[in-house]
Amino acid sequence: MTENLSPDEVASQVIAIVAKQAKVEAAAIKPESTLKDFGIASLDAIEMIFDIEAHFDITIPDQGANFDTDTVQSLVDAVDKALAAKAAGPDAAA
Amino acid sequence: MGAVSAFGEGAERLWQGLREGRSGIRPLRHARADKMRIRVAAQVPETFDPAQHCSERTLPLLDRCSQLALAAANEAIAQSGLDFSAGDLALRTGVIIGTGVGGETTHDEQSRLIYEEHTGRVHPFTIVRLMVNAPASQISIAHGLHGPTFAVASACASANHALAQAAAMIRSGLVDVVVSGGTEACLGFGSLKAWEAMRVVADDTCRPFSQGRRGLVLGEGAAIFVLESKAHARARGATILGELAGVGMSADAGDIAAPDPAGSARAMGQALADAGLAPEDVDYINAHGTGTQANDVAETEAIHRVFGAYAARLVVSSTKSMHGHALGASGALELVAVLGAMRDGVVPPTMNYVAADPACDLDYAPNAARPMRVRAALSNSFAFGGLNAVLAIRAPG
Repeated sequence: MTENLSPDEVASQVIAIVAKQAKVEAAAIKPESTLKDFGIASLDAIEMIFDIEAHFDITIPDQGANFDTDTVQSLVDAVDKALAAKAAGPDAAA
Repeated sequence: MGAVSAFGEGAERLWQGLREGRSGIRPLRHARADKMRIRVAAQVPETFDPAQHCSERTLPLLDRCSQLALAAANEAIAQSGLDFSAGDLALRTGVIIGTGVGGETTHDEQSRLIYEEHTGRVHPFTIVRLMVNAPASQISIAHGLHGPTFAVASACASANHALAQAAAMIRSGLVDVVVSGGTEACLGFGSLKAWEAMRVVADDTCRPFSQGRRGLVLGEGAAIFVLESKAHARARGATILGELAGVGMSADAGDIAAPDPAGSARAMGQALADAGLAPEDVDYINAHGTGTQANDVAETEAIHRVFGAYAARLVVSSTKSMHGHALGASGALELVAVLGAMRDGVVPPTMNYVAADPACDLDYAPNAARPMRVRAALSNSFAFGGLNAVLAIRAPG
């Protein structure tokens, strides 16, 4: 279930997915880390976003993000935003 | 030459649209448009009537990509004035057609029947419609051409690879004439969803090399040409539209999707060398220019590497800003643009350009066609899979 998650739970679940893709321990991932730091680039990054979308049942918009260079925190923020949009109902979703 | 594009039927209609900076990009016309994030596309207009271009008997055998290819081939062959019933010409004429995925419309529709409607059976012509060689085969059948005939597939570089293959076959003496180009019509629900998932499609429009670009806009269409050796063309007094003077092909052998400027630069350099052109002989580059973040920066860098200081004096434009990215047909649609530019002395613009991106610092003919003489040009196509194919074209004369 991904309904009514606390911000910390969202963050730790996003970090777990990043850790799996990067094949590193979750503890090694800091909010200010970039995906590039872990060698996640190009199609790997897109696949990871796909996993995150499936996990949270959300859609993260294509634009306004550069997944290669953005930080893990910005990814968590994007998930928070998408979860909020989902909670507000389908008509409010971007 | 012949073409079907977002501007409708006819190479001239395509060229006039590009020359005037008109857009073929429209809201996506699709029964399930409400279930997609993709909002716009450069589709062949609904007025396209395949029955105008092929016999009633043939029609049931054709996927949309073959319909478009036949319409374009008929136009090109009629314009060429060649009579294939004369001597052994039909035996010495090949058909080499590039397409990224071939009969995707058929694949999508027949899959829908079995998976969604549970019909338990599909149309008996499914295989002959969807096979990637179908467009080449249908052209050979319609015009009675018996030479080497097959498809060339390299995703977004398919048409340029096909034209390069055609030129190589003529140079080798294997054939006298090749009907060659590209076709693509893959805007079915499944493939649109696949493009959506890749996150490279713009939701507004295509803005190559511009700040604020948001990705490519998918298109469809076909463009076909009749290629022959210079001696063959001159001997019969043909009107020569342009000279395919050289080709360059390379593989990045790196990332499956991200472009590598080293690979594309190598293909451009080879095309120049093959054509015997010096960098300063070239006036215009019809860019691959998809409007994605990655392509436009990498392509700009590759042009700098090949042309050095002269790069600043080149005019580089992306007509994908108007006819969209027709994938395996792109290089062929863009060759129509190059030949039009040479004939009329007008380089087509890069439309939808908002402001300069510091990483894309060439002269892109933003938003307005450029009257200028084009003596020689390159036409770039770079594909997913890291495959690059560049044509060098010289003006006739």
